[in-house]
Amino acid sequence: MTMAVASENEMSAPAPKSSAPAQDERARLGFRLTLPAQILVLFISAFPLLMQAYISLTDWSPLSGTNWWNAWEMWNTFANYTDLAMDGRFWSALWRTLVVMLVCVPVEFLLGLALATLFADDFPGKKLFYSILLMPMMVVPAVAGYMFFMLFQSGGPVNDVLSGLLGFPVAIAWLSDPKLALAAVMIADIWQWTPLMFLILLAGLVGVPQDQIKAATLLGANAWQRFVTIVVPKMKTIIIIALAIRVIENFKIFDTLYIMTGGGPGVATETISVYIYKVTTQDLIWGYVAAIALAILVVLSVAAVLAMKRMAANREAAA
Amino acid sequence: MSAIHLQGLSKKFGDFTALKTMDLDIADGEFMALLGPSGCGKTTTMNMIAGMEEPTQGRILFGECDMAQVPMGRRGVGFVFQNYAIFTHMTVRQNLAYGPRMHGASRPEIDRRVGAIAELLQLTPLLDRKAERLSVNILQRVAIGRSAILEPAIFLLDEPLSNVDAAFRAVMRTELKHLQRQFRQTMVYVTHDQLEAMTMADRITVMDHGVLQQVGSPIEVYNNPANVFVARFIGSPGMNLLPGRPAESDRGMVIDLGPVGLTPLLPAKLAQRLRGHGGDVLFGFRPEQATIAHEGRGMKAPVTFVERIGARIIVHLGQSESAMKVVLDNDARVSLGASAIITPHMESARLFDRASGAAIGQGA
Repeated sequence: MTMAVASENEMSAPAPKSSAPAQDERARLGFRLTLPAQILVLFISAFPLLMQAYISLTDWSPLSGTNWWNAWEMWNTFANYTDLAMDGRFWSALWRTLVVMLVCVPVEFLLGLALATLFADDFPGKKLFYSILLMPMMVVPAVAGYMFFMLFQSGGPVNDVLSGLLGFPVAIAWLSDPKLALAAVMIADIWQWTPLMFLILLAGLVGVPQDQIKAATLLGANAWQRFVTIVVPKMKTIIIIALAIRVIENFKIFDTLYIMTGGGPGVATETISVYIYKVTTQDLIWGYVAAIALAILVVLSVAAVLAMKRMAANREAAA
Repeated sequence: MSAIHLQGLSKKFGDFTALKTMDLDIADGEFMALLGPSGCGKTTTMNMIAGMEEPTQGRILFGECDMAQVPMGRRGVGFVFQNYAIFTHMTVRQNLAYGPRMHGASRPEIDRRVGAIAELLQLTPLLDRKAERLSVNILQRVAIGRSAILEPAIFLLDEPLSNVDAAFRAVMRTELKHLQRQFRQTMVYVTHDQLEAMTMADRITVMDHGVLQQVGSPIEVYNNPANVFVARFIGSPGMNLLPGRPAESDRGMVIDLGPVGLTPLLPAKLAQRLRGHGGDVLFGFRPEQATIAHEGRGMKAPVTFVERIGARIIVHLGQSESAMKVVLDNDARVSLGASAIITPHMESARLFDRASGAAIGQGA
């Protein structure tokens, strides 16, 4: 033991003199070796962004007959952005996206948490139910969209079940009613993504130290008190991760929804992704599309940075 | 009220019997150690007392009260976990306040009690520290304080010192004993470390393979082990046990140890008990209670190994069944390989039935 310490001291004693230049040399070599990969990554991530920024300042469209790099011929400075600020369809799509998120993510979270709590204990048939529960997550979103499109037809199974439960024939036109269509879309999203929430939260729940739960019980805490004072604080990080994943994913909601309603009836289920898709493929005004995408990117980035700062501050306050 | 009575208690996990029928009475205010190797059922016993596990059979009484229907949060039992199970996401204050808070105490009441317990355990300057980064001795005090604040009549400690390094354990032992004197509760202390049990407990319950082996004060368990298991388990090294059969010599009774030779004369009391016995026995004596010479008559065995442990040396003698150890001062002259004459202190020697392992003629 003492020998090891002594030899370590001998090793480190002369090191500081020679290490500074050596370290610099190593760092430079490392930089040179990773440079090609760095450039490639930079190109992949930065180039589309710069291209987008460039096009967003023009009236360029693939139909305009010029190549994109010549888009400066149609330079319009910030006209796309001022148009965007006045675009009611854009703002209502953004609002709708937020509504979907504010309904779906909390419902998915609460359902996922409840299921995770259930699955943290053993019960007969647990493995079977576990597999069944995870299946929606494996379904291709486009297929899920088609499934729910069929389910919510006015002669479809959902109405049949409702008829059976209520005792009189129900024929709700789910997907052609502007209000119900959004609800149907949300139900599909909740069906498909609650399992992911469940899976992440279960992993967190299983990681809560059992002896601390027992200690809390011995100190007189009932199940709800244990949940609030021990389980939730211990799962805080994983809860934040689960919520962050779903918030980001849900903001981009598209495939299931598009197959179910195509954004309709009218624009009743048009979320931001659907709106961008329509402007891109139907209206073909790509300069404007670039402006929308860039604006959303900026807004999301700012939100993400603020959220992360808040989390870091929390962690520091907690430490 | 805070005496504990275990009546015919047993526990099975599927086919595995963790605890065979156990009867034990722990007096009010007593410090009882449950001692045994891992898997002997001591932790299971304690978990049942705490209500964390249901007994398969038998009853647990606190004073006169049967605990069968009382859930673990209501038993008025303080429990210190092996790793302390401190709520790491809380401060020391929040940890201490947890019990009263869960019992719905008022804010000023909680503050008053936390203040008092923190003062007692010298935790006052640490109250607002996060429990995550505290040293082990502070964690132990927090763990004890967190339970003690509810003033439980019974305290259960599950190997609280097993995560601590050897040097620090001595400090903690003293501290624990000191705390028990302060709180005056009935304490049940689970450990596999006989030194902890010996130094702290009023009485020791020795267990093995789910069976209670012996209950007694530390000195009783050391001096008069009830059977071969206790004799070997208690003491470091454990008691020497040499197979032999009783024999009459011209001056009285001795034990014929085969290749080792004859023991010195048995004390009258031991000889008397042995007369009614007959058959093969195990002759037991403590390694600390024997001397070695290189000349003379008596039990004879070659020195096979000498272990030096600082103040003492452990001399290994003989082979296989008749192997034994003798502990001597470190200035004793012992030559390796040479034949040695071993003279055990006969007043403290013990005899066991070879077949059953039970002590013969216990009591001096």
